[in-house]
Amino acid sequence: MTVDHLLIKRNVPFELYDVDIFSASDAELRDLSKDLGLNLSLDEMKRVREHFKNVGRIPSDVEIQSLAQAWSEHCCYKSSKAILREHVFNIQNDEVLSKGDAGVMVFDDEHGYALRVESHNHPSAIEPYGGAATGIGGIVRDVLCMGAQPIGLIDPLFFGPIDKQVDLPNGMKTPKYLVSGVVSGIRDYGNRIGIPTIAGGIWFDDSYIGNCLVNVGCIGIVKRKDLVNNAVKGPGDMFILVGGRTGRDGIHGVTFASAELKENSEEESRGAVQLGDPITKEPLIHACLEVNSAGLIHGMKDLGGGGLSCVVGEMALSGGCGAEVDLDKVPLKEEGLAPWEIWVSESQERMMLAAPKKIVKRILELFDLWDVNATVIGTVVPGNEVKLRFKGETIFQLDLEFLTKGPEYCRPAKAKSPQTKKGEDFPKLPGDFDKILLKLLSDPNIASKEWAIKQYDHEVRGNTIIKPMTGKINKRGPSDATVVKPLPDSFRGLAVAVGVNPWFTALDAYRGGATSIDEACRNIVAVGGRPHAITNCLNFGNPEKPERLGELRDAIAGMAEACKALNLAAPSGNVSLYNEASTGACLPTVTVVGLGIVDDIRECITTDLKEEGDPIYVVGTTKPQFGGSALFRVFGGKGGEVPDVDLEALRRSMECLRGAMKGRMVRSCHDISDGGLAVAMAEMCIGGDVGAELDLSVLPLPNLVSLFSESNTRWVVEVDRAKEKEFVEAMDVPIFKIGKVGGKKLKVMNEDAVVLEQMVSDLRERWSKPLWELLG
Amino acid sequence: MRSEEIKVCVLRIEGTNCEDEMYQAFRELGASPEKVHLKQLLGKCPADMKRELDDYNILALPGGFSAGDYVRAGAIFAARIKSELSKDIRSFVESERPVLGVCNGFQILVELGLLPAFEGTMSEHPEAALYTNISGRFECTPTILKHESRGKCIFTKRIEKGRMMLVPCAHAEGKLMFAKEKEEKLLAKLEENDQIVFRYVDEDGEYAGYPWCPNGSLSNIAGICNPAGNVMGMMPHPERVVHRYTHPDFTRTAADVNGAGDGKAIFESVIESVKRKA
Repeated sequence: MTVDHLLIKRNVPFELYDVDIFSASDAELRDLSKDLGLNLSLDEMKRVREHFKNVGRIPSDVEIQSLAQAWSEHCCYKSSKAILREHVFNIQNDEVLSKGDAGVMVFDDEHGYALRVESHNHPSAIEPYGGAATGIGGIVRDVLCMGAQPIGLIDPLFFGPIDKQVDLPNGMKTPKYLVSGVVSGIRDYGNRIGIPTIAGGIWFDDSYIGNCLVNVGCIGIVKRKDLVNNAVKGPGDMFILVGGRTGRDGIHGVTFASAELKENSEEESRGAVQLGDPITKEPLIHACLEVNSAGLIHGMKDLGGGGLSCVVGEMALSGGCGAEVDLDKVPLKEEGLAPWEIWVSESQERMMLAAPKKIVKRILELFDLWDVNATVIGTVVPGNEVKLRFKGETIFQLDLEFLTKGPEYCRPAKAKSPQTKKGEDFPKLPGDFDKILLKLLSDPNIASKEWAIKQYDHEVRGNTIIKPMTGKINKRGPSDATVVKPLPDSFRGLAVAVGVNPWFTALDAYRGGATSIDEACRNIVAVGGRPHAITNCLNFGNPEKPERLGELRDAIAGMAEACKALNLAAPSGNVSLYNEASTGACLPTVTVVGLGIVDDIRECITTDLKEEGDPIYVVGTTKPQFGGSALFRVFGGKGGEVPDVDLEALRRSMECLRGAMKGRMVRSCHDISDGGLAVAMAEMCIGGDVGAELDLSVLPLPNLVSLFSESNTRWVVEVDRAKEKEFVEAMDVPIFKIGKVGGKKLKVMNEDAVVLEQMVSDLRERWSKPLWELLG
Repeated sequence: MRSEEIKVCVLRIEGTNCEDEMYQAFRELGASPEKVHLKQLLGKCPADMKRELDDYNILALPGGFSAGDYVRAGAIFAARIKSELSKDIRSFVESERPVLGVCNGFQILVELGLLPAFEGTMSEHPEAALYTNISGRFECTPTILKHESRGKCIFTKRIEKGRMMLVPCAHAEGKLMFAKEKEEKLLAKLEENDQIVFRYVDEDGEYAGYPWCPNGSLSNIAGICNPAGNVMGMMPHPERVVHRYTHPDFTRTAADVNGAGDGKAIFESVIESVKRKA
């Protein structure tokens, strides 16, 4: 069926249609939504019709496209908002300075730090290089528009397996191609704009074959007096559009992101992927920060999802005003764009400034020095309406309240009972522990990510104190968290760490959500930081399926309750739904980026073992919990109990460990996560290029559990042997002395029996090489 | 001349992205650095922003991806300087004032003909190239440098010959090359003129190739100066290691965490040489 007869061309010298939704049948409304790429449901189309009936005219294509942007899942969180309100929005914290496009937290008396992570999943699945690059571009703008200088990028990535053949459904790209494209995209964009890529990770699972996840995070630093509102100040302000030109790239990005990927998505939606230009972004960052710190602007906001259509409305509404825009003033990449295309295009590298008229000239001069476009395109007016003109013709006139107040759903959610020990199917394991450890170390989920890390400039800006890898040069092991020193004249630092365990979350959503927080906190504490705030990206499948929404709800609850118990702020976050291809949904992926305050960066701790003879302790209680563990995944176990999070134990452990670190008792520290104690210990040996002798008999558990359980809230600690007694007294939580640093081997005994014995050089070989070999 | 009277022009265009840390390195040593856009030297800006190169004592070209490096690293920035600022920059160098290029800055100096500058101040065409790393990849990694200058280079006067320094690299195009047929002769010339300032070595101080030399550079060369010793370019980033606590191994060595980083001596040397000359 065609809906052409419902599109009425207006008699103007450009392309503009009015959409006759008054006379459309239900079937025609559905077709309109589909043909115009609106991705609105029938109910939503009817709601639009209702509104325009009250207004007394049919909408223009510009208006209906604008509504589709504002009401997309991506923009208005219509499926998740009710859950977020119940669990996350009510997290109280005195140190939140802003919950704008990025969250902003207190850093010190004069400064705040900005943080946010979001997804760029769908674009990256279609066009990995451009999708990832523009993901970085977008998140940087979110931080920039708070007035903050971006100081670090964080990239947690999730792909299908690269170490085995996979069946690819039609239209999908191989995991290797996607990894390579995404990492190149991050490298070429991040390195060019000169913001260090400091943290992240790469995870592999079959469920990501059709739904790769590209999460992109950014942190920034801002003088508290320079903190900007993402709003206009009042009537008389001018809207100045700065940065890149507007083109046909990135049209319908948000509506595309709010639907499942299909076989023909590439063909249909290639144009939804924007094109990045880091060499427009780099000077744009300078110019925006310069006009802001000079006090020239009233408000700033980035153009992301929905483009101009979202930014103008949201800035005006937040300032309690209306807006009038001359859409034909927008600088274009090519002639001939229809007004609706200009209005919703998500072309990159653009920001909107609001500034008083008399200052506009100076702002334009500053942008001109950097050869960055800056164009006045509209004015702020009293009222609550946005009005667009194009070559004199009024083409859009909408009430802001209606435009921006999208629908909200309380969809049915079905709780899934968590997996327990009862349903556990223990895998058949190789006869000796050496083989198990070596196999785990070379599993792509655990193996060194040096292949990617070396391609990212993680030191530009010269403030990266603890790098993503640590230890002897060219023999480095992994760091738990990265630490940056944002200010030249202060030793205060920020620790950045990722916490995520999709396998846990798949088996037990609540514990999985809580584990993300536990892991992020463990990592921050391991380098000497105090967990302070988190931001998160929740990647789930289709929320219209009750079991998916059930997973989302329980995972959010687990994450949020942990934040509340630990007094962690959550001033920003992002929900990405519909990560569900024909092959099924992605694992429920709760990506948490944790931020910690480091009082003095000179006291930071790293994971690499330091001194022969130092005693080694395990902090925390090991339990026989294998659900979702690397051991089960690698050797084919199923089900099982997922590690729980004892929030009180976590709080106390962190406090004690931080105390011991302040007292200079700790020489190295590593959190225990994927692959359990055995892998953590191997990694510490690899970075320190020194062995360790352990005796598991102090742990009242079978060797298999001691070595490979992934119970939460645990660390391995190398204690300064001169301060061992002090350490034992300081640790008012369960600790176990399992051995000492020394030799060239990792040698594990249980009383007189040898459990495992491997040369450190062999461990390094097995851990270091896989990604280089698989990805070349 | 007091340190604060030493004016440093930290020159940038779009895509230059290591100017903040370069600025900071000079600032911490008491000099007076200023971040200056090339258009400010060319007069293409509001009157209050105009600057003259001749007013500065030191010129520093920081790292980054100037103009995106889409043609060849440093080529576009160099072409813009050459077309409109050639005379000023030539007289700056001929007045024996120091010019430092780091990473992309080194690439620009080679493209400009200010390095290696075997004949005269500034060769008409580039005499060398900084080519794609042998790994074919961007390499962000700590590297160990050995100081090789016999005393010509004014940026390393305070560093004894043979000293090993930890200075990190981050680049995709850092492999120093000459035209194949001239390679041997020009390498000998660099040696003879005392133009080789730094070479990459392994932890024992040996010339060891990749990964210790992250780009496969000719003769493991990391940095060179002009025959006069007042223009130096290097691929590694000394401005990233002005303090010990930005060294990648500071948590595991006995060195005082409050002490100097290995890159600091370069900035100290050049400031001292400007002071002495004044």
